[in-house]
Order: sequence, then C-alpha cells, then structure tokens
Amino acid sequence: MSEKQERSHKAQKVLERMGQKLNRQMVGSLVACVHCGMCTESCHYVLANPGDPTYAPAYKADRIRKLFKRHFDWTGRVFPWWVKAGSVFTDADLEELKDIVFGKCTNCRRCTMNCPMGVDLATFNRMARGLLVSVGVMPEGVAVVSKDQWETGNQMGVLKEDYVETLEWMAEELEEELGAPAADIIPIDRPDCDVVYSINPREVKYDPRSIADAAKIFHVAGESWTMPSEGWDMTNFGLFSGDDALGGSVSRRLYEKVSELRGKRLVISECGHGYRSTRCEGPNWAQYDVPFEMESSVITMLRYIKDGRIKVDKTRNAQPVTYHDSCNFARSCGMVEEPRELLNLVCTDFREMYPNRAENYCCTGGGGAMSMSEYTPQRLKSGKVKAEQLKATNTEVVITSCHNCVDGLTDVIRHYELGMEVTQLVNLVANAMVIE
Amino acid sequence: MSDLLHFSEHGLQEGALLFMALVYTTRIIWFLRFKAGGDRQAATGAPGTTPMKGAVYSLANIALPWGMESTRRKPLLYAQFVIFHLGVVAAISLSMIIPYADWLLESTILVRCFQAIIGAAFVVGIIRIIRRVGSPYMRAISSPDDYFSLVLLTVWFLSAVLAAPNDATGGEGHLLTFFILTAFFLIYVPFSKISHYLYYPFTRYYLGKTMGYRGVYPVRRG
Repeated sequence: MSEKQERSHKAQKVLERMGQKLNRQMVGSLVACVHCGMCTESCHYVLANPGDPTYAPAYKADRIRKLFKRHFDWTGRVFPWWVKAGSVFTDADLEELKDIVFGKCTNCRRCTMNCPMGVDLATFNRMARGLLVSVGVMPEGVAVVSKDQWETGNQMGVLKEDYVETLEWMAEELEEELGAPAADIIPIDRPDCDVVYSINPREVKYDPRSIADAAKIFHVAGESWTMPSEGWDMTNFGLFSGDDALGGSVSRRLYEKVSELRGKRLVISECGHGYRSTRCEGPNWAQYDVPFEMESSVITMLRYIKDGRIKVDKTRNAQPVTYHDSCNFARSCGMVEEPRELLNLVCTDFREMYPNRAENYCCTGGGGAMSMSEYTPQRLKSGKVKAEQLKATNTEVVITSCHNCVDGLTDVIRHYELGMEVTQLVNLVANAMVIE
Repeated sequence: MSDLLHFSEHGLQEGALLFMALVYTTRIIWFLRFKAGGDRQAATGAPGTTPMKGAVYSLANIALPWGMESTRRKPLLYAQFVIFHLGVVAAISLSMIIPYADWLLESTILVRCFQAIIGAAFVVGIIRIIRRVGSPYMRAISSPDDYFSLVLLTVWFLSAVLAAPNDATGGEGHLLTFFILTAFFLIYVPFSKISHYLYYPFTRYYLGKTMGYRGVYPVRRG
C-alpha cells in the first residue's frame, strides 16, 4: 500500500497517540527483537495451533512493531521494506490489528519470560490495545465492560442496592453459625478499621459464597474490618483494555474510599488481575501515592494461621488438589510461594502442576479474554495446553487465586471434559477452619 | 603489503569505526530521550527481592541457560548462540590484531584457535540460515534485514577463517575481502538488527529492575 494513500482519521490518531505512549522500556522492547524465534513455543496459542506462525509472539509483536519502525525508528523510515516497517491507513487495518492484540494474545507475559533479549511483548501489546480503544476499536465485550466500570464503578454494572443486599444476605446466612448479629459479621462502611476488604463484582453476581467464606475468616480471626458500600471493586478493566485513564480512575476510586474510611490496610480478594491492578499498576495509572498498605487476601489468611488467629484442620480438605498460578500473580507480582504455603496448611494432598509458578500456562481467560466472545473458539482451542496440564495432575480439584482463572479454567474443563472442579483458597481455608 | 590493503586495514577500518561510534552515540541519545517509566507502588514478592537483584539476574540471564524454559529445553540452540557470538568476538579481535598486533599471529596455536572458533561460528551461521529459511515460523518473522545480516555475518566468518594466518604470500585477496567486509559490517550494523547488543543492557536492565521490584526475578521454580 502506498504511503501517499490518505489515512483515516482513526488511523491518524492511533499513530499520533503512539508517540505519546512510548517510554524507554517500551522503546527498548520495540527495537531489541532479533527475531530469534526463542519465544515461539512459549505461547499457548502457538502450541495449540501447530503450523500457524501468525500466533508466534514475535509475529504478533511485529504487527505493532512495524508501526514503531515506520514512524519512529530510523531505518524503517528510510527503508521500510528492508525491516518490514509499515503503517495503518484504513479502519480495516485497525480492525485487523484489533484481532491480533485482543484475539491472539492474553498478555500472559510467558513470552517475555522466555525472551533472551528481555522484550516485553505484553507491555506493548497492552499499549496497542489502549491505542485502539482510544479510537473506539475494540471487541464489543471490552466496550461494554469498560462502559460499566466508568459508569457504575464496577465492571459488572452491579447496583449499590444489589451489592449491599448480597452482603446482608451472606451475613444473615452466617448469623446462626457464628452466633453474631449480621451487621457485625459483614460490617459496611465502618470507619477506622484495620482492614478494608475489596472484592471482584463476580463474587456478588456469581459467587457470593466466597464473600461469606471471607467474612467467616475475618470474623473468627477477630479482625477489625469493613467492606465499603461504594468503591469496592478491586478489578480494573483498564489493565485489559490498555486504557490508563480508566485504570487510574478505578484505582483512585478504591484508594479514596479506603482513605475516607480511614482504613489501615486494603485487602484484595483473590483475583490475579485485580491484585496486579490495585496493588501494582493502580498507583502508577492514578499518579497516586497510596497512604495505606495493600495486600492479597492470600497473605492475610496465611498470616491469620501463622499467628494463631484462626485454627485449621487440613484433614477437612483431604481430596487431591492442584494449584493454577494466575499469570498476573506469578509473572507480574511475584506471588508464587504464599499460595503454596497456605495450601499446604489447609490441604492434605497438594500436587504441583507442571510447569508452574512463573512458567505456568495461562488459563486462557487472561487479558480480559472472557469478555471477548468473538474470540471464544480460538481461546478454547488454545486451552488444549492447559487441559493437558490439568489432566496430568490426576486430581479432581484445581485451586486458583483468581476469579478470571476460575472462569477460564471452568470453560477449559467443560470443553475438554475433564470433570474437574475449580475453587479458590478462601473456600478451602473456610472449610478447614475450626470454629470453637 | 599493497597500499590498498594498508588502507583497508587502517584508514578504512578507523573511518568505519568512527562512523559506527558516531551513529551509536546518536542512537543512545535518541533512546535515552524517551522517559523511563517508574513504579510508585510498594515492592511486591518475597522479602529480599530488590530491583538491583532483579537487574543483575536479568543481565546475567545470558549465562544462565537453565533460567529460561526456552533455552533450557533447547540446549543446542543455546550452544549455537554461544558459538556464534564467540565467533563474532573472535573475528572482531582478529580485525584489530592483524593491523595492530600481527606478531601475535606468529603463534600457530593462536591462529588455529581463531580458525576453530570462527569456523565453528561459520557452521552455526549456515545452520541458522537453514533454520531461518526452512522454518515457517522463522520465515514469518524474518525481514530482508534478518536474512542479509545473517548471510553477511556468515560470509564474514568465512573470510575471517581465511584471513586468520595473515599470510599474503599467495595474494592479498582474502585479507582484502575480510577487511572490506569488516568495514561494511561496521557501517551497516547500526542500522540493522545486529545493533541489538546496544539495546540489550537497557532492555534486560529495565525488565530486571521491574521484575525484581515485583519479586518475579530471580525466577523461582518448583
């Protein structure tokens, strides 16, 4: 296509905004690739689609890199054909790019870990997503969820009334077991607490049991804790969509709510991307220096057991279980040993999945893939790798510390007929907890 | 020694080196003009992991083939990488030794060592060309620069093997070829993917710093 061809308004904006998004780390990743191909087999999409090089991380990266080369790098500006530099001209070009950055990559960062040069594709793939989102080019699910999170403050559009009602319902369910009034079991908007607990809206909509389990643990531990009536969503679609403004807005809402309640610590329920967004990326997106501590509920539960604040009987979880590392936990936040330590305290038969920790394979639901139904067939096909990993553990229960992974794994298990159950650490801890 | 060979060994090399240094300096300035991103949040991961540990681990990654699955599972590719880059170092050294310390090459053992290392790198170059052309994955990610750079280096290795004895009694053709190719190589490198080594310390440092701060590096396996 000739460079003299007129460029669409959207394509022009994407290129202009790319220049504003580039930082030194990203430029390093864009210039340093030597096309050695070492990343190829690190990608679960490649492994599930043998013979199709368009899934190779370096190939996908080059769809973004070519823009950088053509518009920002020297050789690509002068001799574009020599280094495969290229541009985008039409809205159709942007749609094609969308199918790659959203549909063929879950931003799991496994290729990054396997790149000898240290090229971080996940970071600039996210940048490319953000550029497309800024001109309205995105999968429908991303648009819908982003809109919900902008408008309602949570990514599933849960209304405040429904949220509070769910908390009250869960508290009432626990009244008899714990012998305490509902308002004390799940305190809402209580100021000056040691812990403010934030959750994933999926828990309200599809898994209120995990809220009840967490409440039970906090109550038995004698924690001074509360849940905010607003600003409670620790998930952040900005991480998936590449929209830093959304990311910053969602994080800030949460941080400001904790500050308003004068909470001493924000505890983030089990969610890989939620933890990464709130704990690691949020302060950067929001340009906000968080004045309180933040931790995953995995660490909180582990501390309760170690400090003797709760007692557990691991024989209550006697079935063989395996653990799936969330990509965001393992490859972006270094959270790999704590879940295992906790598992060994509350289960009798924990079996590792291989490879694991930072080398684990994505559940297929990473990068917001669960919300992009147009890519579901290729996502499920890529799940073959995960399915084989799961099957090899010879267990019937897979534990994960991520709501996204719960959904991703459930889909893979159903699709590949593995007959396994997916659950989270909070459920196991609550089940193992001895209430005296 | 003919005037042409003398010029090729000295004036041409020095000019090409100066040009390369100028272009590299400009590239580094260009690169550093991009602002480095930072982390405002508190560190994550196991206690004891620090940005510096992460950066050191990341930079040392080149010598830790067991550190990454990609090199751990493909030891032959890693061995090729080592041999190829040793060949580059040896050939560059040779381009300095011949003009400025040719007495070193009076040692037959040293000459044979150079020839063995660079010869092995030449063989690896051939294997790499076959891999790049033969694998659909490699073809899909390759640009003309990738092919040209690889062929250029492979041919350069061959010329270095022939030039290593620094013996012009049978003619100067092989020495002229080596030095003209070296000069071309020096001028071409800053514009090609071969300049990756210029960015390598930066990419690995920044990735390592971030991953160290987040407790991902050094990687823990189990």
